[in-house]
Amino acid sequence: MTITRRNVLLGATAAAALGPIAARAQTSEVKIGVIYPFSGASAQIGVDAQRAFETAAEIINGKYDFDLPLARTEGLPSLGGAKIKLVFADHQADPQKGRAEAERLITQEKVAAVIGSYQSAVAVTASQICERYQIPYLSADNSSPSLHRRGLKYYFRAAPHDEMFSQAMFDFFDAMKKKGTKIDTLALFHEDTIFGTDSSNAQLKLANERGYKIVADIKYRANSPSLSAEVQQLKAANADVLMPSSYTTDGILLVKTMAELGYKPNAIVAQDAGFSEKALYDAVGDKLEGVISRGSFSLDLAAKRPMVGKINDMFKAKSGKDFNDYSSRQFMGLIVMADAINRAKSTDGEKIRDALAATDMPGEQTIMPWKRVKFDENGQNNDADPVLLQYVGGKFVTIFPTQAAVAQATWPMK
Amino acid sequence: MTAETIIQSLASGLLMGLLYGLIAVGLALIFGLMDVVNFAHGEFLMIAMYATFFLFAYFALDPLLSAPIVAAALFVFGAVVYLLIVRFAVRAKANTGMVQIFSTFGLAVLMRGVAQYFFTPDYRSIPHSWLGGKTISIAGIYLPQPQLVGALIAIAAFAGLYFFIHRTDFGRALEATREDAGAVALVGIDKNKVFALGWGLGAALVGLAGAVMAIFFYVFPDVGASFATIAYVTVALGGFGSVFGAFAGGIVVGLVEAITTLILPPSLKTVGIYGVYLLVVFIRPRGLFGSI
Repeated sequence: MTITRRNVLLGATAAAALGPIAARAQTSEVKIGVIYPFSGASAQIGVDAQRAFETAAEIINGKYDFDLPLARTEGLPSLGGAKIKLVFADHQADPQKGRAEAERLITQEKVAAVIGSYQSAVAVTASQICERYQIPYLSADNSSPSLHRRGLKYYFRAAPHDEMFSQAMFDFFDAMKKKGTKIDTLALFHEDTIFGTDSSNAQLKLANERGYKIVADIKYRANSPSLSAEVQQLKAANADVLMPSSYTTDGILLVKTMAELGYKPNAIVAQDAGFSEKALYDAVGDKLEGVISRGSFSLDLAAKRPMVGKINDMFKAKSGKDFNDYSSRQFMGLIVMADAINRAKSTDGEKIRDALAATDMPGEQTIMPWKRVKFDENGQNNDADPVLLQYVGGKFVTIFPTQAAVAQATWPMK
Repeated sequence: MTAETIIQSLASGLLMGLLYGLIAVGLALIFGLMDVVNFAHGEFLMIAMYATFFLFAYFALDPLLSAPIVAAALFVFGAVVYLLIVRFAVRAKANTGMVQIFSTFGLAVLMRGVAQYFFTPDYRSIPHSWLGGKTISIAGIYLPQPQLVGALIAIAAFAGLYFFIHRTDFGRALEATREDAGAVALVGIDKNKVFALGWGLGAALVGLAGAVMAIFFYVFPDVGASFATIAYVTVALGGFGSVFGAFAGGIVVGLVEAITTLILPPSLKTVGIYGVYLLVVFIRPRGLFGSI
């Protein structure tokens, strides 16, 4: 048969008429946009995040005997067993690219929801776009406290934010002081984007409230070629505790420069980020025995909740790494979102939003040490308990809070 | 702020500055020779660092030993880049300037992508080497050995380059081609050979810098970006076309960076560099030692 113009037109009309049916039948697949840095300085984070999200999608789409929402069923049961399809987008750690990619995911890829984004600075722009299109945005691992205080209706975060993390650090200091450890002065060292700035603001506020003296507050330029002048100032201040908020590259350079300039603080208590990354410990782990970092995840939990170890093995098979603070939160991000879409029984943005707002997931049904997942009116989960981890003998052990701790803190660090 | 802090910052700034100069000098050489800005300069640095890292990882070769190997390899690489890409780009009939920019810029994007594909975006670093983490302490001032040796290598490389340009036949051919590429053809000098040599030399110098930096810096596909930006400023500050200018410009940038960090909040440290740069181009648009 030769294809005439009329045939083409007929075909097009038929396709248009079939459209609504096709759309309805298409619920065999629910697209979720995942927006991360896949190139540039933080590309490794994106690559690992992709494996974490794929692990979660595998568990949701397949059948597994885990006490995790959607694990025991195939796909999303209330959407006829529809499978989750992840659409990855690269924001290159650039808030403007994040904005553009979020818009593309929503308008071109027609995703039902967006999850992101490692850098809080990107979460700001991406979530605004989602708000405009009434598509839910879930911060899997963004920790800036200001994010959930913008009055957005479609913004959610299941994980703790930096004020909760910092609070845990100061609770820990208070507890150590009670035991007779000398902790009077603190030095803050933070990068100059929203993550570092928010983190130091939270720490400054808590230090003032609880009577700790800040002897250095150094805001440095992210991805600097050299940090010797900055480290020089930290050394001169010589605080009881050094509190860095840095991404991986800066963290490596900080630790190397500290060793070169002969600066050895009594204790380092880090706002994770770079200090929860394997690359940092591969590079300078020998200089970090006893470093403490906050976290929202610990593999210790596998002893109490065996599925944590099994899911970690699935992730490790894909990525060659254990879950860390980031990959675990990313994993949970998709579980929480998929659970909400399933309860919404729809891919409509507003219905998913309402389902998210109604979320009440017990802590035992997660891989985290959280009490539960339940969002407040700002979309923040206030029951996500942070933990403090100490790097001892090449791995992290939980040292705080007492109910989660498996070991006593080593102080000062070696 | 104690005197010790100030001296320490200046010392660190000087050491870093000499390295900045070493990175920039290859860029200045190529620009001075044929008016082409190599936008892949940072990526040349990146592959030199990876080469040093892999020589360490697979052959346990200390960066100090692999430095000449890496420099030689980069020499070949630079010459090949000229012969395969730049040679044709400068011949373009229309929009020659644009074609030049996009050819080396495209090369940069390609190299970054290839590095990310093959080496993964992970951060690598050489955990232990002869100099790594070692420090000399004089009266409370710490001089990290990697940077100290790097600075010495930079000075030696400048001296060698100076000698090469002013005392050898090839160097004279280089200078002559720079003066008038058309005229040298008449006296039987192969322009392409000289340009290829220039690219080779420029790449070898940044290769040397990469090998030294791999001792104390981390490697990842985008590592060139932050250093390349500084290299462009260094060249513009020191003077377009002047190898000596790149050397001096590097020292100025290193010191200004250190002093700015002492006076202003560290997050503003590049403000000092760009401030001085703007001042220089206002007063002397060709840069401190520029001849063009």
